[in-house]
Amino acid sequence: MKQLSRGAFALPGTSLDFKTGTWRNEMPVHTHWGAPCHVACPAGEDAQAYIAKMMEGHPKQAWEILVQANPLPATTARVCPHFCEQACNRKHMDQPIAIHLIERYLGDEAIKNNWAYPVDVSKEDGDPVCVVGAGPAGLSAAYHLRRLGHPVTLIDSLPEAGGLLRTAIPVTRLPRDVLDAEVGRLLKLGIDFKPRTALGRDVSLEQLMGEHAYLFLAPGAAKSRHWSVDGAVPSDLREGLGLLKEWLVVGDIPKPKSVAIHGGGNTAVDLARVMKRAGVADVHVITASGLPGPDADPKDVLNVVPREFEQAVEEGIVFHAHRTIQRLLMRGSKLVGLEMVHLKKLPGAGGRSSRVAFEGTETVLHVEMVVPAIGEVVEPQGFENLLGHADYFKADPIGQIAGSDRVLVGGDARGDRGTVTAAIGDGRLAALAIHAKLTGKELPDPKRRPFIDYDKLNVNYFEPAKRAVEPMLALEQRNDSDEIEGGLNYAQVTHEIGRCFSCGNCLACDNCWTLCPDNAVIKTVERAADGSHYVFDYEYCKGCGLCAHECPCGYIGMVSD
Amino acid sequence: MQSAPKEGVAGQHNMEELRKLQPRYRGLEAGHRACQGCGEALAARLVTEAAGPDVILTNATGCLEVFTTPWPQSAWRLPWIHSLFENSAAVASGVEAALKAQGRSTKVIAQGGDGGTFDIGFQALSGMLERQHNILYVCYDNEAYMNTGIQRSGSTPHAAMTTTSPPGKERMGKRHMKKDLLSIIAAHHIPYAASASVAYPADIRRKVRRAVSIEGPTFLLIHSPCPLGWGIESDVSIEVARLAVQTGLFPVIELERGELTGVMPIRNPRPVTDYLKLQNRFKHLFTDDPRARKEREHVQALADHNIEIYQLRGEGVDALDTDGADTVRRGGVVD
Repeated sequence: MKQLSRGAFALPGTSLDFKTGTWRNEMPVHTHWGAPCHVACPAGEDAQAYIAKMMEGHPKQAWEILVQANPLPATTARVCPHFCEQACNRKHMDQPIAIHLIERYLGDEAIKNNWAYPVDVSKEDGDPVCVVGAGPAGLSAAYHLRRLGHPVTLIDSLPEAGGLLRTAIPVTRLPRDVLDAEVGRLLKLGIDFKPRTALGRDVSLEQLMGEHAYLFLAPGAAKSRHWSVDGAVPSDLREGLGLLKEWLVVGDIPKPKSVAIHGGGNTAVDLARVMKRAGVADVHVITASGLPGPDADPKDVLNVVPREFEQAVEEGIVFHAHRTIQRLLMRGSKLVGLEMVHLKKLPGAGGRSSRVAFEGTETVLHVEMVVPAIGEVVEPQGFENLLGHADYFKADPIGQIAGSDRVLVGGDARGDRGTVTAAIGDGRLAALAIHAKLTGKELPDPKRRPFIDYDKLNVNYFEPAKRAVEPMLALEQRNDSDEIEGGLNYAQVTHEIGRCFSCGNCLACDNCWTLCPDNAVIKTVERAADGSHYVFDYEYCKGCGLCAHECPCGYIGMVSD
Repeated sequence: MQSAPKEGVAGQHNMEELRKLQPRYRGLEAGHRACQGCGEALAARLVTEAAGPDVILTNATGCLEVFTTPWPQSAWRLPWIHSLFENSAAVASGVEAALKAQGRSTKVIAQGGDGGTFDIGFQALSGMLERQHNILYVCYDNEAYMNTGIQRSGSTPHAAMTTTSPPGKERMGKRHMKKDLLSIIAAHHIPYAASASVAYPADIRRKVRRAVSIEGPTFLLIHSPCPLGWGIESDVSIEVARLAVQTGLFPVIELERGELTGVMPIRNPRPVTDYLKLQNRFKHLFTDDPRARKEREHVQALADHNIEIYQLRGEGVDALDTDGADTVRRGGVVD
């Protein structure tokens, strides 16, 4: 090249010889945080992951991610209180993502299109395991054990699988064709299902122990707690779960003029709504808990899905919160009314809370019938030796029963669960634990992982957008057979998915790549090893931290170099 | 031809090859000596990305010139020339005239900082506009003479501290107002003049493309925070730039033939204190001094005035307003 005599010149892009990376004292790194929805789900569903897949336009793959954790998504979408949505970071900006509607869409699509579980049915190289109880926990355990290649025997005393999904949840919340489709699909995975087989009557624990490497017990809690008020009970007393079951199976429900249901869970609210629709004029729910609302302490409210509570109020159920029944007013052995009193759970001595009734707040409620729905305990038949005199099984977090090496337990029989989703999570965890023990692998860790907080996101990059609302039957259209809530269509689901912040996970939005003043964020052609679409060029990265600050998802963090 | 890097461990990526495969034009390369978090480096990168490659650049003296071309290296991948502080526009005029004589259509972009544009190179700029050269002039506005040690310029905003406008007994930072350069540019009745901010890259790209497609003189003023001169951490320069727009202190507008033809509406105007309190150059406005409160109110009044005269207040949700313009979407920017 001709040498210039005056001035100076340099060849293009030669600054690449100067490695500005040496200036750095902090370096950006990609960190995949747990999303709050994922961490909060007792069944272990990674909502963010299937939402991302859905966004890529692959509903089937999204469903496959979903059923890696939960084999019954169309069911849980309808009956779960949606811990994922309660945890969703978007609630700090406008409203949480309607994750349950996305789950429902995927679950229903799978039924409609007959999608098969991503499970190799021919694989049967593991040791045989027996699952007792075909409710959500048992079905989940059987499913995950089959995924892992174990031959599974599933026994249940009832003629059909489903457990309390079938015997306690009204069809208006969970249509039976949805339940049948999901349970049927699951049982077709080569599970040896033995219905009408009761433990202690048709088969004994010892027998099952002899024939299988491991047992998973998920008998649920089917026996109502003893209920009386100072020893008094009306002669015609019926308990809530039994009434619901009778109504679901036989279609019959008592129709007094007025009823008081005592309890604060799904059974109480479901029964109240069933009786109201059956024609009972006055339906009261008496509960020691508070009612859901913006200012309510989540630990103090009814243990029901908030939407269910709202629908019940719409339908005319009268709730008496923070009350208990102090006295029954009887004429002979027949109930004519009851005396309620205000009551609250307050911290007592020794750090335990106790229920305190307040004198001077007594009121009388004239009702013809009282129905306790205060919870259930394990029916001990067949488990006498394991259970002793306890109401529930005692087990460690993965379900291992102390002193019984080859027996794990999960679901309502543990006494510390209470939702279908938690039962499904128990079944999954127990299956992973059994597989780990049989193959000498590391046990699954049931501890909650840390998740990313709202303040680690950069929400300047997200637009406010209204949450999708499910269609719902109008009050006058509600009956005993039609599902009250509807689902979303594809366009609505796509809109809802677009609201996801992608907490702690790369959104591939190009922000880091666009905003790096030093050209030190490089876009990869294929997905990078860490799952993102970018790599940092540390030869030039000066460690300014702009990419981390401007990352909408909190996926980039600065660490000292 | 090189095959694309495959999925694998981080170290497996061949950065040199990957750098060549980036799906954007690289006008300003890595290895330049800008400070950490430099707004000007980012703005220049975005401008050349949008304008290149058929472009010739001229540059006034200033940070951009110094940090991109420490002899014998250059960070530019475009023909680039620097002569003096005051003559970027004049040099560009000469280049453009020479290209014209040769019958070539290569676009000329003159660049300068606010010192080289508002003050020192102003008459050369005015001449360039008046003579109707086919040039885009880009001013990277970091609101002081940062290259020489943070002296006040015509662009330094009212009440800001610089080494030549220190707060003290006499006054609270700079006494005078920021020069309303865009109005002066508008008075030249050129086809297109606009302001932009590094916080809104898509807006910069759009305006650069618009400007280079116009035959005749065009002007772009880009607000570019300087972490060192403004006294901010290097990671918040975009945040600060965004706040300057969202408070109304830096109006993002477009002018054609001197008339206002477009603004970036502010959806939810933020109080100016949100912007000021992040920066050390305004630290004295948050002292106990009663003058501090008065100056804060003064700055708020200046922002309110901008919002009023440019009609910056948005009406509801708008995809191109201060809250919508940088919304991210899964899978990258849709321009």
